[in-house]
Amino acid sequence: MPPVIDREKCTACGACAEFCPEDVFFGSANGSVPQVTYPEFCAHCSCCVYVCPTKAIRLRIPFPMQLLYKDPEEAVI
Amino acid sequence: MEEKRIQTDVLCVGAGIAGLMAGIRAAERGARVVIAEKGHALHSGRGRGGNDHFWCYIPEVHGRDVNLFMKESLKTPKLKTMQSGTALNVLRTFLEKSFDIVKLWDQWGIPMKYQGRWEFAGHSFPGDVLTHLKYGGRDQKKVLIKKAAEQGAEIVNRVMVFDLLRDKDRIIGAIGIDTREDVLVVFESKAVILGTGCLDRLYPAPVPGWMASIPGNLTLTGDGRAMAYRSGAEIVSPEMPKRHVGPRYFSRFGQATWVGVLRDPYDKPIGPYVTRPNRLYGDMTPEVRGVFLQELMNMGRGPIYMDCRGISKEDYEYMMHWMWHEGNAPLLDYMKEEDIDFRKHPIEFQAYHIIPEGKIGINERAETCIPGLYAAGDESMGGIGCAATYGWIAGQNAADYAQDSPPVDGGGIQPEIDKKRQMIQGISTRKEGADWKEVNIALQQLMQDYAGMVRSETMLTAGLSYLRRMRKKVDQSLIARNRWELTRCLETLNLMDLGELVFISADKRKESRALHSRTDYPLTDPVMDGKEMVIRRKNGEPVVMVKPS
Repeated sequence: MPPVIDREKCTACGACAEFCPEDVFFGSANGSVPQVTYPEFCAHCSCCVYVCPTKAIRLRIPFPMQLLYKDPEEAVI
Repeated sequence: MEEKRIQTDVLCVGAGIAGLMAGIRAAERGARVVIAEKGHALHSGRGRGGNDHFWCYIPEVHGRDVNLFMKESLKTPKLKTMQSGTALNVLRTFLEKSFDIVKLWDQWGIPMKYQGRWEFAGHSFPGDVLTHLKYGGRDQKKVLIKKAAEQGAEIVNRVMVFDLLRDKDRIIGAIGIDTREDVLVVFESKAVILGTGCLDRLYPAPVPGWMASIPGNLTLTGDGRAMAYRSGAEIVSPEMPKRHVGPRYFSRFGQATWVGVLRDPYDKPIGPYVTRPNRLYGDMTPEVRGVFLQELMNMGRGPIYMDCRGISKEDYEYMMHWMWHEGNAPLLDYMKEEDIDFRKHPIEFQAYHIIPEGKIGINERAETCIPGLYAAGDESMGGIGCAATYGWIAGQNAADYAQDSPPVDGGGIQPEIDKKRQMIQGISTRKEGADWKEVNIALQQLMQDYAGMVRSETMLTAGLSYLRRMRKKVDQSLIARNRWELTRCLETLNLMDLGELVFISADKRKESRALHSRTDYPLTDPVMDGKEMVIRRKNGEPVVMVKPS
């Protein structure tokens, strides 16, 4: 579920939790790897992705929000 | 619940583009300023992640006659950016001031020029006047936050203002909750500027089972409009729906940044405007009639694709540059991960959900009809350029008003505060009941089914009565398990107030116009041209009037 934190890279600085406009990391403890308490409320705005000093966060876009595209090499029409 | 009191001259509700600009200008005019933001200013509002287009009038580009430019700007599709019913004097004031704001932003470090020139593109038909300036807004929130701090305006994050405080007919402040700690925050303020943006969460998302699949923000719940209505201000035409267009399922704004052609499965363009990617004009079909995409799907003629194949190398780089500034980093990152390439893969587009209008009525000084209450941004007109300009105008006038106003007497408001405290305590301490999401989904269902794309007197009347019946029960059973849920609950209560206004106004507008479609009044009534439905609370009840815009 978005966002996904790479625990190897995370330094528990808390920036993602501090700045998330939707406060999806609500309730995370200072000094620990933040938890995504409200993954379904994530707006996929990438604030956390770009604010993270160690690039430890990526968004996993959920299937209901997948991009639909045509691959002309596969397409029947 | 602890109570915290903050005294100030000007309170800005919302630290979006409008709120920050208002705060900057009011502080510059010498007022004490607090900007209250329920999320965090860095990434709140429609300005989050950046924007790439700023509607403005530049005499050296557009000629000296602002009236001519205004006439061009009012060609119907352009009303996509602006809320309909914006009074002409309000629009003119915006256009006349817009270049000053462009220059300020450029000075402050938001790149408003492209390769050393004023670059206009998008939102116009081939051959028409170009009205939107392309600008590099990626870091705009950072720049504005820094400027606000320099001017001495104080940004208070994680505080949701949920009601205004009045003493007779004068605004004396507002009340809010800390969205993390158990604290009630009371603002004593001579003037309040509402900049809380759009109404993104009233209707079901394009993917109804996934609430977050909206092009906008889940936290744009029209808080300012609801508060303004409850305090007696005018809400203008809440029955008029807007529906934007963009990538199917991965909902985003910024469709005018796509340099491509909307095509059917046989590669035939669905619109008459372009046959090849054109960086100056894009494809205006969605701005002329966005729901056309849905109509084609309903006929089985989809999928409809935004096709950028054949784009020149220069136009591709141009598009990618603006995509980044338009806040589309998440889309670009995702496409990179999935090996999706604009140049190879046509991407399916759809029409999104209903985002109702219903702005707070303002005059050209950003004043509402309540002394001391101002509104700016998507609250009041629409678009980044307008938010920045009217934020500025509101800040200036609110500061001057505050200077001339007597100090706020915070003594008489305790009963009102106690009432609110009780309401919050009720929601927070109930052992069982309905949480915010359950109520919000039920509300969205009613809006969709009874005030959606097909409307009639029988359905609007039924929908309103169902909503009111539900509201009585919600008031006795809404629960919040923590502070985050409490914030969502207060938002949902605002949504319910605004939902009622949509039903009432939609019923009163006895015609079909744009996306307000009445099966019982299928024609557009010319008598309503240049007029708006204005709804205002009188003696506790909504009263609708038809007024010239």
